[in-house]
Amino acid sequence: MNEEFENRLRRALRRVDAPEGFAERVMRARPARPAAADLVPLRPVRPTSVSAWRRFSAPAALAASLLVAVFAGQHVATLKAEREQQAGLAASRELMQALRLTSQKLDLAYEAVQRPAPPPAAEEENRS
Amino acid sequence: MNARIALALTALLLAGPTLAQTRGLLKLPEMAGLADKASESVTVTLDQNLLGLGCRFLNAAEPDEAAAKKVCQSLTGIYVRKFSFDTEYAYPKADIDGIRRQLAAPGWSRIVEARSRKEQTDVDVYLLVDGGKARGLAVIASEPREFAVVNIVGSIDLEQLHDLEGKFGVPELEIESGKKAATPAPAVPPAKKPADPRAH
Repeated sequence: MNEEFENRLRRALRRVDAPEGFAERVMRARPARPAAADLVPLRPVRPTSVSAWRRFSAPAALAASLLVAVFAGQHVATLKAEREQQAGLAASRELMQALRLTSQKLDLAYEAVQRPAPPPAAEEENRS
Repeated sequence: MNARIALALTALLLAGPTLAQTRGLLKLPEMAGLADKASESVTVTLDQNLLGLGCRFLNAAEPDEAAAKKVCQSLTGIYVRKFSFDTEYAYPKADIDGIRRQLAAPGWSRIVEARSRKEQTDVDVYLLVDGGKARGLAVIASEPREFAVVNIVGSIDLEQLHDLEGKFGVPELEIESGKKAATPAPAVPPAKKPADPRAH
């Protein structure tokens, strides 16, 4: 049974020569070859943008952080200087006000000290 | 034992500058209630830090401020309380008496006592003298509708105070220049004598 099957298979798969003119008919049937100029070379598809982002994201973030830190520091320093200037100007105004007031009161004492004393007779009249 | 002595010495060394700063500093009453009643009030509290800051911001080109700059460099505090009222004697006398009691402490001496019956004005000027140098100045001025207390703390150079004459309206206190000016004694007698007859 097996032998018969093998023989049949062998017969079916035996080498058979191509009919005459087969090669010419195939060559005639194939489409015309395009010119070399018409060929568009395929470009390899590379995920360039993604890889660049991955490559530069960390330094970019660091640079951005540094910039933000520098600007924030400058802003804080400016605010501090402004606050200090305002406090200083307020303190200097208070200082001048205090010294003026002191001088006014010393002036008052000086005037009272320099004023001639009323005659004792007049004082006695006032008392009576 | 040695450790205790070292600790005590350290404490003394640390407390020294603090005591020097507070010497001449009066404890002014809060007077918060007084400010509500007053028609006008001035409260100046300049401790050493604020005084230093204010001193730095004075304009040396202005004669007033240049003179003030010279004076404030040796000071450690300026405290002012001034209240004006619409009615007469609206301020409590107890507050003034409390300040006067502090000025009865050793070291303080009243260099001017001016009493004007006519204008009902009392002005007392006190000086704290320590080691022959003025370390504090206090002025208490009371009028029927006004009450002011000034406390200046620090090394008060009377020669510099003399330089202020005419700039803020500070009267000539007849402070002599040279060594005598460092002590308040020469400034006292000319001012004090005429005040006595008018004293209450």
